Amino acid sequence: MRAAKVIPGFGLTFGFTITWLSLIVLIPLSAVFIRSAGLGLDAFIAVGLSPRALAAYRLSFGASLAAALVNAVFGLLVAWILVRYDFPGKRIVNALVDLPFALPTAVAGIALTALYAGNGWIGQLLEPYGIKIAYTPFGVVIALIFIGLPFVVRSVEPVLADLGHDVEEAAASLGAGRWQTFQRVIFPAILPALLTGFALAFARGVGEYGSVIFIAGNMPFVSEIAPLLIITQLEQYDYAGATAIATVMLIASFLLLLFINALQVWSRRRMAS
Amino acid sequence: MSIRLENIHKRFGAFTALGDISLEARPGEFLALLGPSGSGKTTLLRIMAGLEFPDNGRVCFDGEDVTGLTVAERNVGFVFQHYALFRHMTVAENIAFGLNVRPRRQRPSRAMIAARVQELLDLVQLGSLGQRYPAQLSGGQRQRVALARALAVDPKLLLLDEPFGALDARVRKDLRRWLRELHDRVGLTSIFVTHDQEEALELADRVVVMDHGVIEQVATPLHVYNEPASAFVFDFVGESNRIPVQVRGGKLFYLGQPLDVPTIGADGPSELFFRPHDAAIVKDDAGAIPALVVQVRPKGAGVRVEGKLIGIDRPFEIDVALDEAPEPGRIIALKPGHPRIFPVSREIDG
Repeated sequence: MRAAKVIPGFGLTFGFTITWLSLIVLIPLSAVFIRSAGLGLDAFIAVGLSPRALAAYRLSFGASLAAALVNAVFGLLVAWILVRYDFPGKRIVNALVDLPFALPTAVAGIALTALYAGNGWIGQLLEPYGIKIAYTPFGVVIALIFIGLPFVVRSVEPVLADLGHDVEEAAASLGAGRWQTFQRVIFPAILPALLTGFALAFARGVGEYGSVIFIAGNMPFVSEIAPLLIITQLEQYDYAGATAIATVMLIASFLLLLFINALQVWSRRRMAS
Repeated sequence: MSIRLENIHKRFGAFTALGDISLEARPGEFLALLGPSGSGKTTLLRIMAGLEFPDNGRVCFDGEDVTGLTVAERNVGFVFQHYALFRHMTVAENIAFGLNVRPRRQRPSRAMIAARVQELLDLVQLGSLGQRYPAQLSGGQRQRVALARALAVDPKLLLLDEPFGALDARVRKDLRRWLRELHDRVGLTSIFVTHDQEEALELADRVVVMDHGVIEQVATPLHVYNEPASAFVFDFVGESNRIPVQVRGGKLFYLGQPLDVPTIGADGPSELFFRPHDAAIVKDDAGAIPALVVQVRPKGAGVRVEGKLIGIDRPFEIDVALDEAPEPGRIIALKPGHPRIFPVSREIDG
């Protein structure tokens, strides 16, 4: 006999979930693998792990990590301000945070390029010191920071809001200074959410295309991101080559996200809630 | 340690939270701040702790002015209503927190901290739960962890904000008795906030009854219950019946008829208060209060009689012995015992 459950419909909803996930995520992804498998191992390595592709992976993953790290720090700061303080124009700031979500990425890319190019508003200030941002890997990082910011802010914000004042007051009443309170009480409490935001920002950065290609300059081995390399292959009608690069990216992304997830599980278990 | 508050004022915007509060707690005393929500009792406690600062007035610990000191500098133990435990730390880590954050020179060695934590765990009867996380504990256990954590830093004063507020009735009663024992054993000056009169009367050496940011009465539980200083206190510290009366020339009139109740107090509109267990049903209705019985329910050794006062349509409740229980629907004559009469000044909540 089957035991009655309080929450019914597991079979139905689970079936739907799997079907939906398969249609939307798994089948397209397996198509990538099948397509690239037709290439044969040698050709796969030759394209997927060519020096040019490796340089592109390094840039894509490196810049995404760097941008996600920067976002983790400053996104936390923005979330902190939005949660803890009331100030005039708070709603506007709040809405501004979401703008990178909504803005067509190409628009962001063009705007950033105009700003940071050698003759742009910011670029011309830095040019005399020999600092170039547009058309360098640094420009890629800037674009990815722009794209990733809301992920961190919106992940951390609710958790920070949920964290009661009394916990901080308790720490203070026990003699802890402000830094100790942050470091030992607040930060560990928001770390899982911060990691989530970091992972989302990172994942978005790896897959980002539109905003990056304008500011990157796309020089092979220097400022060419992996998604662009895929497009380049496609434009040469080399579909198998494109899927080979995509496969490598997929595997690498999957492993990195798995690692970040494990980190989250670990830190969440310490919260034991 | 003794604590003295002198002329404390506190406003939040246009709202006066505390108006000119002066209060003293003797060393080793267990004091209750009792009042309805919005009476300013929690604000007062937070001012003692240094979590809030008064607009005017002074806070003195053992005669020393600490008004300007922050909570971290005052060395008080504070127990929060919702425990405020650090969720990512084990019970032992929670208790050790106050010792671990000390500057290196004043910090005890790791072994000493561990020993102190175990000692406190035993004190709050959670000896074997040191490695659990707060989420794995019951409400009562969490509150005891919060208490152990506050005691770990050897505070001079223990402040508890509605310490049993979030617990269910049974746990609350057990924990209450346990806290009283703990206080007697540790001998720390302790002040707790509550809106539960039963808790205040059962636990405290003295009760401070507050309303609308002022102190209504400071006295022992017996005194507060038997000789309330105001209508508000009478109403708040126990069950009460309230009847509008007139005082004229030392006599009491209810609906124009004289009441057979001894009276002291100035002439004018007043209110007569008496407790349900102080009333009697009398045969002779001269000088008594006529009332209609609506419901009779068992209560303790006797019964609780509820109904309406005839003529003013106000509810009443009295406790009488089982063999005196009237039939519902009957009209009875009430005679209040141990009545208190307060002139009508302002409207009482509730």
